[in-house]
Parts: sequence; C-alpha cells; structure tokens
Amino acid sequence: MLRWLAKRIIAAALVVFVVTSLVFVVTHVFTDPATVSLPLEASQEDRASRRAALGLDRPLSVQYWDFLSGLVVGDLGESFFQTQPASKLVFERLPATLRLVAGATAVTVLMGAPMGMLAAWWERRFADHAVLGFSMASISAPPFWIGYLLIIVIAAQLRWVPTFGSSGFKSLILPSFAIGLASAGRLAQMTRRGIVEELRKPYAVTAMSRGFSRSYTIVHHTFRNVASGFVTMTGWEVTRMFTGYTVVIEVVFSWPGVGRLAVDAIFDRDLILVQAAVVVLATMVVLTNLLVDIARRLIDPRVDLA
Amino acid sequence: MTAVENPMDPADGAGTGDAAPPESVTVMAELRSHLWKSKAGISGIVICSLFVLAAVAGPWLPLIKDPTKQSLPDRLTPPVGWGGTWAHPLGTDQLGRDILARLIDGARISLLVSVTAVIIAAVLGTVLGLIAGYMGGKIDTLIVSAADVQMAFPGVLAGLILVAAFGPSVWLVIIVIAISSWMVFTRVGRGLVFTLKTSLYVEASELAGASSRRIMWRHLLPNLVSSLITLCVLELAAAILSESAFAFLGFGVQPPRSSWGLMIQQGRNYVTGDGWWIVTFAGMAIAIVVLGVNLLSLWLQSFNDVAEREQIVLERPGG
Repeated sequence: MLRWLAKRIIAAALVVFVVTSLVFVVTHVFTDPATVSLPLEASQEDRASRRAALGLDRPLSVQYWDFLSGLVVGDLGESFFQTQPASKLVFERLPATLRLVAGATAVTVLMGAPMGMLAAWWERRFADHAVLGFSMASISAPPFWIGYLLIIVIAAQLRWVPTFGSSGFKSLILPSFAIGLASAGRLAQMTRRGIVEELRKPYAVTAMSRGFSRSYTIVHHTFRNVASGFVTMTGWEVTRMFTGYTVVIEVVFSWPGVGRLAVDAIFDRDLILVQAAVVVLATMVVLTNLLVDIARRLIDPRVDLA
Repeated sequence: MTAVENPMDPADGAGTGDAAPPESVTVMAELRSHLWKSKAGISGIVICSLFVLAAVAGPWLPLIKDPTKQSLPDRLTPPVGWGGTWAHPLGTDQLGRDILARLIDGARISLLVSVTAVIIAAVLGTVLGLIAGYMGGKIDTLIVSAADVQMAFPGVLAGLILVAAFGPSVWLVIIVIAISSWMVFTRVGRGLVFTLKTSLYVEASELAGASSRRIMWRHLLPNLVSSLITLCVLELAAAILSESAFAFLGFGVQPPRSSWGLMIQQGRNYVTGDGWWIVTFAGMAIAIVVLGVNLLSLWLQSFNDVAEREQIVLERPGG
C-alpha cells in the first residue's frame, strides 16, 4: 500500500511538472509577459526595457530553471499589474474557490446519489423518467445561464438570498447550485446505471429471489460495489469544477476566487498572474485525482495496485 | 459514460463497433425504423436540423430583421406577453437590436466553432488512438501519458493561458476546444483497436503482408466509425457549451459580431432589472440546441448498445 502510494504521489508530481512546463512554454517561448503587458503599438525600446526589467532578456534555460526552483518553494513570480507576489494573490483567493467547490460538491452528491438510487429502484417507471429528464435538462443548460436564472428568480424576484458577492453562507447557495446541478445530473445517471447493472448480476438476483426487497438489495448488496465508481465520478466532477465551472460561475456571481482573478488578470494583460492561477488550479486537479485514487483503493481493495 | 462501453452484457466484451452488419443499406434501414420508435431520437433530429437551418440559412429566412440594426428608442422592449409587440417577438437588447434575429445570427458562430473543433479533435484523437492501439510499445506509452496529462489540464485552463498569451480570437477557441477533447477519441479508439487487433481478419492481412498503415486505415478504422460518430455527437454537445462559455468570458467572438455566449455577457447588467429576457432567451437557445444534440447522442448510444436495445424490446417487469 505504501509503495503504491509513493508511486502515485510521484506520478502526480510528474504530471504537475509536465503541466507547468507546458504553461512555461506557452508564456515564455511563444510569447513573453513583457510583450503581453505592453500595447501592440509599443516601440522596440519599450519592449526591450520591459523585458530587461522582468528578467526576460536572460537565456530561456536560466528563466526556466528560475521558474522551476521558484515553483518548488511556492514562488510564482511577481504580478506585473498589481506589483505583488502572484502566489500571495492566488492563495488569498484560493479559500473562496475551495468553499465554492465544497458547496457544489455537496449539491452534486446530495442530489445525485438519491436521484440515481430512486431511478434504479423504479427502473423504467415514472421516477426513472423524471430523473432522466432532470439529468438531460441540467447537463444541457450552460452553468452560467443557470446562475443567471437563479439570480433572476430567487435573488431578484423572491429576494431570498443576496444576488452577488460572498458574504456568509447564504451567498454560497446559488453559485453552488449553478455548478452542482449539471454534475448532479451526470452523477444520477451514472449511479442509476451502476446499480441497474449490479442488480442483474447473479448475487443480486439471488438476494432478491430469497425474498429481499429491491430497495433492501440496492442499499445492502449493490451499494458497496457501486461506491468505487461513484467516488471516481464525483472526483471527476470536482476536477471539472476546478477547471471550468468555478471560473465561469465566479464571474457570474462576482465571487472572489482564483478563477475570477485569472479572468481579470487576462484583461489586465498580467500574464504572470494568469500563469500562477492556472498552475494552482491544475495542481488542484492533480491533487483531486490523487485523493480519488486513494479513496477508491480504500473502498475497493480489488483496485489494481500497479 | 462513453458510447462504446457495453456494461449491460459483460460477455460481449468486443465492443459494439464490430456488431454492424456488412451491408450499409441494412444499417440505414434499421437506423430509420429505430428512429421512428424513439421520441428522443426524433426530437434530437428535429432540434439539430432547426439549428443547422438557422445557422446556414439565417439571413435569408423571411420576416427576420437585421441583427445589427440598432434603434435606441426601441431599446429593452420586452417580449410578446410581457408588454411587447410582434415587431420584436422576443424583445430587444440594450441597443434596441432584435433578439430573435441576433439568436439566429449567433447560431452560425456556434455551429462553426463547435463542429470545426470536434472534427479536428476527432481526426487527431482517432489517428493517435489507432497508432497507440495498433503499434503498442513505447509509442503507446507516450500517447497514453500525453492523454493523461491532457486530462489534468483541460479546456478552460488551457484556454485561460492561451488567451492571456495570444489575445482572444475565434480560432483560438476552436483550438482550445479541440485540444481539450482529442484524448477522448484517443482513449476510445485505442481501446477498440486493442480488442480488434487480435481478430482473425487482422491477423490474416498481417500474414498476407499488408503494411501497418493499410491495416489501420482499411481494416481497423472502418470498424471504429460507428462508435466514433456517437462519440462525436457527445463531444459536440460539450463543444457547444464550451464555445458559449468562452464567448461569455469574452475570449471568443468580439462585438459587433454576435454569439449566444456574448449576448449573455452583454445582457448580464440587465438581469436584475428591466431586461431579463436578453440573458434568458440567449441561454435558452444554447440549452435547447445542446439538449437536441444530447438527445441525439442518447438515441445513437441506445442504438449502438445492443443490450440496451434488447432491454427496450423485452419490457422488464419493474420492482
């Protein structure tokens, strides 16, 4: 187990290394932070002096080494626009993004799992069709639009919760649903499919033929077998949140998270800060995948130890 | 999740791509009769056809106004039913432009970007999947690791860094969507090739001295097509959503050209007051089209999935 864990951690670190290197290639080989920060009509001298100021006139290998050694100690460079360390800016915003992801994950699991179980319980009956309808609708609607609909109906018309910003628990509700509904829809379908599949296996058929009810069999026999897939899918949804949904939803709800920081930085032409935000979000994805692997291993000992 | 898994019947591990009868005529006939029985399939086809029609024939449709014509006295006219008139059935936006006309105009960019991106991803991903699956060895390891890294670095993140570096453009959005979806085709294609390459006809052509390229192109690829088409449709839904998200963030199409995502971005300041219809209708257009594509893919999956088809026929007793 420990050897397996060590291997997984090394593999995860390797992925972070490759991803950050790719980011470096884009931000330093194809272009550079100085060019991006200046307007297109800037003169050659301006460019040269800006490059010198940012240390971009040094050989690429030196810059790459600087970048990597900075990464190890958590130094992600200096934000050009805000003249502060980029890592400080990103890590200040990270808790807000984590809160949002936690809220959305709660919505996903608390809605997705029961709906999937209900649909499997009443397979090909009304509940099943209703859950399928919900899933199709929720995965088809763009999350940012769901966000605005929630703002229009629940915040602006009914005035139950604040429209924008992040003040306390109440303001977390709408963004969490905006992100979580689509994930819940996918998770419900996956759970349903998993349970239905298990129910056709001999052990479940045996259990039911011995007189256990369908619901008892679902809860006591199939659930453990579905759990591993369930955790994998939930983890996958969390990575989706880190890499897409939060960015868009933070913009919709003016949520002070890493995603909005990155989008703002793009319009400030602050390449270093965008780079820092992307590196941190990609690391979150890799960490999530690692945690999912560990959780799967704990739930299901059959998971391959390779 | 993917179309090619066939979890209903583990005995049929060979996938579904090779289940197709040899004559394409039979497949088409079967496909049609299956379509007429499926509400999801019919609705999907209808929605997708309307979408393509709007995108291709938009400017020539009768009664549709000029999507760029501004008229400040008419700004923020509500839709019919909320105090508007039939002059602007879905109301007007903050510059007095007709929303229906802009929706139809926006269909074009949405279709263009998503279809181009999916085609690029499918071609690239399938070729890599064929090579990885058939060649095996180091090439396989390399391609699979690249796909794994890509999984950890998906769409919007790559989009953020590329837009920051090169500035917003439609082509960039197409490339970003393509690079965030190629590995899906690679994984599925590779998985299918693994099961196909031990089959007799592949071994026979190997013994007959056919080159690797010929085997991949003439013998393996045709057997992947039906699974990959299903996958294309599934990825198309994701691509339309991505395109709208990028446009919404301001990374894609720039004004004055219109796109559904951009309409939501421009209408967002009016959501809490007198202009909820801009965001509502633009989002509804995206949602309906994506729903249509999803229904189509649901139906294609159920058609491909032999076990699922049997289930529909058998009518299991519930409970």
